[in-house]
Amino acid sequence: MSERYDSIVVGGGLLGAALAWMLAREGARVALLERDQLNQHASGQNAGSLHFQLEYRMVEHGWESARTAAEAMPLHLEAAREWAALGDELGESLGVAQQGGFMLAETAEQVEVLRRKTALEQEWGLDVRLLDGEEARRLAPYLSDSVLAAAFCPLEGKADTRIAGPALARGALRLGAEVRTRTEVVDLVPAGSGWAVHAVERSDAGERMLRLEADTVMLAAGVWTTRLGQLLDVSLPTIPLALMMSVSAPTAPFVPHLVQHAGTKLSLKQTGNGTVLIGGGWPARLPLAADGTPELDRRPTLLQSSLVGNAAAAIGVVPRTASLPIVRSWVGTTTVTPDQLPLVGQVPGRPGVFVATGGSAFTLGPSFARSLIALADGRPPGIDLHPYDPARFERLSHARR
Amino acid sequence: MPDAEATSGRAARLPSERGEPAEITVDGRPVGCFAGETVATAMLAAGVPAFSHRNGEPRIPLCNMGTCFECGVTVDGVPLTRSCLTTVRDGMRVETSER
Amino acid sequence: MTAAHDLVVVGAGPAGAAAALAAADAGLDVLVVDEQRAAGGQIFRTTPPEFGGRRKLPTGYPWAGELLDRARSHPGIAWRHGATVFGILPVAVDAAAGADASAGPGSAGFDVLTSDPADPARSGRVRARRVLIASGAYDMPVAIPGWTLPGVMMAGAVQGFLKSQRLRVADRVVLAGSHPLLLIVADQLLAAGARIEEVAIARGLPSPVELLRALPAVPGHVRLLGELAGCVLRLLRAGVRISTGTVPTEVLGDGRVQGVRLARADRGWRQTGPARTVDADALVLGYGFHPSTELARQLGCGLDWDSAQGGWIVRHDAQLETTVAGVHVAGEPSGVAGAEQSRAEGELAGLTIAAALGRPVPERALAGARRRIRSASRFSGVVQRMFAPRREALLELATPATEICRCETVTRGTIDGFLDENPFAGTADAVKLACRSGMGPCQGRYCESAVAGLVAKARGTGVGQAGRFAAHIPVKPVPLQAYVALADDPPAL
Ligand SMILES: Cc1cc2nc3c(=O)[nH]c(=O)nc-3n(C[C@H](O)[C@H](O)[C@H](O)COP(=O)(O)OP(=O)(O)OC[C@H]3O[C@@H](n4cnc5c(N)ncnc54)[C@H](O)[C@@H]3O)c2cc1C
Ligand SMILES: Cc1cc2nc3c(=O)[nH]c(=O)nc-3n(C[C@H](O)[C@H](O)[C@H](O)COP(=O)(O)OP(=O)(O)OC[C@H]3O[C@@H](n4cnc5c(N)ncnc54)[C@H](O)[C@@H]3O)c2cc1C
Ligand code: FES
Repeated sequence: MSERYDSIVVGGGLLGAALAWMLAREGARVALLERDQLNQHASGQNAGSLHFQLEYRMVEHGWESARTAAEAMPLHLEAAREWAALGDELGESLGVAQQGGFMLAETAEQVEVLRRKTALEQEWGLDVRLLDGEEARRLAPYLSDSVLAAAFCPLEGKADTRIAGPALARGALRLGAEVRTRTEVVDLVPAGSGWAVHAVERSDAGERMLRLEADTVMLAAGVWTTRLGQLLDVSLPTIPLALMMSVSAPTAPFVPHLVQHAGTKLSLKQTGNGTVLIGGGWPARLPLAADGTPELDRRPTLLQSSLVGNAAAAIGVVPRTASLPIVRSWVGTTTVTPDQLPLVGQVPGRPGVFVATGGSAFTLGPSFARSLIALADGRPPGIDLHPYDPARFERLSHARR
Repeated sequence: MPDAEATSGRAARLPSERGEPAEITVDGRPVGCFAGETVATAMLAAGVPAFSHRNGEPRIPLCNMGTCFECGVTVDGVPLTRSCLTTVRDGMRVETSER
Repeated sequence: MTAAHDLVVVGAGPAGAAAALAAADAGLDVLVVDEQRAAGGQIFRTTPPEFGGRRKLPTGYPWAGELLDRARSHPGIAWRHGATVFGILPVAVDAAAGADASAGPGSAGFDVLTSDPADPARSGRVRARRVLIASGAYDMPVAIPGWTLPGVMMAGAVQGFLKSQRLRVADRVVLAGSHPLLLIVADQLLAAGARIEEVAIARGLPSPVELLRALPAVPGHVRLLGELAGCVLRLLRAGVRISTGTVPTEVLGDGRVQGVRLARADRGWRQTGPARTVDADALVLGYGFHPSTELARQLGCGLDWDSAQGGWIVRHDAQLETTVAGVHVAGEPSGVAGAEQSRAEGELAGLTIAAALGRPVPERALAGARRRIRSASRFSGVVQRMFAPRREALLELATPATEICRCETVTRGTIDGFLDENPFAGTADAVKLACRSGMGPCQGRYCESAVAGLVAKARGTGVGQAGRFAAHIPVKPVPLQAYVALADDPPAL
C-alpha cells in the first residue's frame, strides 16, 4: 500500500522547508522527508549571511571565474527581495535584518579588486558603492585603521539559521503538509505518470519501509544531492566543502552590519541576541573513505590552521574581537558545483523530478524554491534559469566521451 | 589574622592564615582582599550582589570549579573570565557584566 | 612549539595524578594540565601557598599525601596549572613526518589546545603521543523554581570555598540532595559556624535489604563510613533537622535567596504533601555528580548512558582506552565512582599507556591496579545503587517558568512548547538548535540532562534515546586570541 501526494520534498534543510511551505501554500498535498532531524546540516550550521556581493572564493581565482560567478546575480537580486518579505508572508520571524554589508580591503591590491568587482556588480544591477577607509569607519566605527576601502551593499544582512528552516517547516505543517523526520529516501522509481519514493522510517522500535507516490519529487538534499542523483542514474555533480564557523558569547551590540573581506576568507556579524558569528569559508577536513571519496556522514575535523587564520582575519579588521569569548567553533559541509554556479532545474531525463543546490543556498534557498515550483507547474520562472540547468553537466560528460 | 566577618546573609572569611593584604577594584570600587584568594572569594566576601546579569537577573558563582561560567567577569579587559579560577593580583580591574 | 610529550594528562585529580605517576615511573615523559592552581582535583583542594600553614587533606584517603608529593616532585612529570584544555585534535597524518598513513586518526599523536588566561603567552598547543582524559566530575544540576537566585550553590562549590579559601558562603543554610557529600558539607558548614536550618534528603532511610546488600562492600571502607556516621552524629547533636523523603520545591527571594520551600516526597521522590517555608540565605544542592565528558565528546569518543554512574560516560575497554585510538580515560568520566576508584583507574591507565608505548611494565603492577579497581568498584557500586538519582522525579520539580538553561534563560515552558509545536523534533540537539538551551557559556553542562529528560518525556522514549549535545572546540569558552596563539609562529596582531 502506498500513500499519494502531489509533491514529495527530499531533505529538511532550509530549501526543503521553503519548498514544503510554498507548495502547501499553493494547495498541494506535500510530504517532506528528512532522514535526520530538521535543520541539522548545512542549513542549521551556516553563517546566515544574506550576501549579494561576490564572495572572496569567487574573486580569489581570478577575473574569469568572478565573471562566471557574477552570472548568478539575478538569483541574488531576487533573493534580496524574497528575504525582505518572507517573514511577513509566513507570519513568523526568521530573524532577518538587512542593515547593509561591507567587503573590506586592507592593501592597494585589494582596493583594486573591490573597484573592479563593484563595477561588475553594478553592471548586473546590484546596489553597491565603494567607500574609502574614513567613510567606512564613519559608518562602522568598529573597523580598524588598517581598512583602506570598503564596498558597501545596503541590501546585505543576515537571517537566523537556527530558526529560519524550522519556522518554514512549521508554516508548512500549519497548511497541512506532512513532515517526517528520521525518514531516509533510499530509492526513486517511476510509477505511472509520477514517482514512487521508497524510504526507511526509523524509530526506537526499529525500521519500517515506506512507499510513497507523488507527481513531482523535489530534491533538496544539499551535499547528498549527487547520491540521490545516483538513485536516478543521473550525474548531478557536486563538490562537498567542509567549512568552519565560530560564535562568541553575547556581547553588547557593536556590529550592525555584515562584514566580509576582499583579500581573505572572512564573514563577521552580530546576531539579534548579541553573539558574534565569525566564519568566511575556512576549510575543515572531510573524512575520506578507503577509496579516497569523502565520507559525508561523518563529522569533519577542525583544522588548526583555520582556527588561526579565521581568528587573525577577524581581529585584523575588527580588533575588539580579540578578547571576545568564543563559545563554539563547528564545521558544516556545503556544496559547490564544478563551475561555481548552482544547479537549479529539472533532473535531466527525469520529468517530474527537480533539484536545487550549490553555492550560497541559504541566501538563495527561497529563490531556488520559488523557481522550482514555477518550473514544476509549467509556469515561466521569474528569472532565466538557463545558466543553472543541471543538464549542462550531462552535456559536458557526453561531449567528453 | 583576620577574624570571621560577622555579617548577616553574606559570605564570611573564616579565621585562618591568609596571604598579604591586596586590593582589586570591582566596577571601579576598591575591594580589599588577601593574596592567594580567588576573585570570586574577594567578591563574595565583599558582598557583591551580582557577578553578572542574565536577562536582568543577578547571578553569582554556582559550581566554584570552572564548569558553569556563572562567575564570569571582565578581568583587566578580558570578558567572561572565571572568577572562581582566577587568583587576585594587587590592582586587578574587575567589571561585573550586564546583559 | 616544544617537542611532543609521550602523554598529556588532562586533570590533576586522583585519577590524573596517579596516571602521571605510574606512567612516569615506567619511563614516560608526561605533562599534566589542570585549570586549578594545584594538583589534587576536587576532593583534595587545599588552601593556596600564599595562606601558609599546613596542607589539610580529608581523612579516609591515607594515600593522598604521598601520591601528590611523589607526583609533584617526579622529574618525568611536567605540570601546567591554571591552563584550560579547550580542545584536542588528532595530528593530521600527512602533517606528521614518518607517520603511517594507513593508520587511523591519532596514530600521529594529538595536539592539545590550551589557554592560560592569566598568562596568554603560555597559551598554545602541546603535542602528545597519547592523551588521558581525567577531567573529573561536577555537581549534578537540578532545576527547581528560583535556582538561579544568588545563594543557590552546588555542594562542591560550598566545600571548595571552605577547603581552599576558608570562606563560608552564607550564614543560614538549607541543604537539599541525596548524595552522601551533602552530609559532609553540612557538617563542615556547621564547624565553620553556619546555622544549618535543615538538611533535606530526597530518599528515605535505607531498607534492611539495601543494607544487607551493601555489607560485602564495606570492608576496607570502614573509615569512610565511620566519617559519614560522625557527620550525622555531630549534626544531630547540634540540633540540626535532617529530614528524609523531602525535596525542595522552590527557592524564594528577591535578588538573593531568602527562603526555601520544602515538601514531603514519596519513595520515588515525587512531592506528596504541601510545601513549607524555611528561611535561609543559601540553598546547597547535592544530588550527585555528572562526569565531565566534553573533551571525549569533542574528540568523537563513544559514550553510553548510565544514569546510576552519572549520566553519559565514556565507553572504554579493559585498558581504559576509548573508542578513539590513543585516547584514554580514567576517573569520573568513565563512570562516577569516587576517589579511591579514580586513583586505581589512573594507575592502570598510566601503566597500560606506558606498555603501549613500549615501556616494560611488570604484569604484577597491572594486576595490582586491576585488583584495586575491583575492590573499589564493589564499594562504589553500592554507593551508586543506594544514591542513584531519580531523574524523572527531579525533573518534575521544574515548573513551566523554571529556567532549564541558566545561560540562555530558556524555561521549561519554552522547551515543552517547542516539543508540542514541532512533533518532528525528537533529540536533545534539535531542542538545543531551536531553543538555544545549551548554547551558552556552560556549553550545556547544566541543562543537557533536563533537556533530554523533557524530550524523553514528550516522546515516550528514554533519556539515552533523546541523545546528548555535541561538544565542539572550545569545550570551555576562550578569547578569540587564544586561537591565534595556536600558530607555530603566531602572527603579530
Ligand atoms: C559553515 C558554513 C557556512 C555557510 N555560510 C553561508 C552563508 O553565510 N550564506 C549562505 O547563503 N550560505 C552559506 N552556506 C551554505 C548554505 O548553508 C547551504 O548552501 C544551504 O544551507 C543548503 O541548504 P539545503 O537545504 O539545500 O541543504 P541542507 O541544509 O544540507 O539540507 C539537506 C538535508 O537533506 C537531508 N537528506 C540528505 N539525503 C537524504 C535522503 N536520502 N533522504 C532524506 N533526507 C536526506 C539531510 O539530512 C539534510 O538535512 C554555508 C555553509 C556552511 C557549511
Ligand atoms: C567537592 C567534592 C567533594 C568530593 N568528595 C568526595 C569524597 O569525599 N569521596 C569521594 O570518594 N569522592 C568525592 N568526590 C567525588 C570526586 O569527584 C572524586 O572522588 C575524585 O575527586 C575524582 O577524581 P578525578 O581525578 O576523576 O577528578 P577530579 O578530582 O574532579 O579532577 C579533575 C581535574 O580536571 C581538571 N579539568 C577538568 N577539565 C579540564 C580542562 N578542560 N582543562 C584543564 N583542567 C581540567 C579539573 O580542574 C580538576 O582538577 C567529591 C567531589 C567533589 C566535587
Ligand atoms: S562558579 Fe562555576 S565556573 Fe566559576
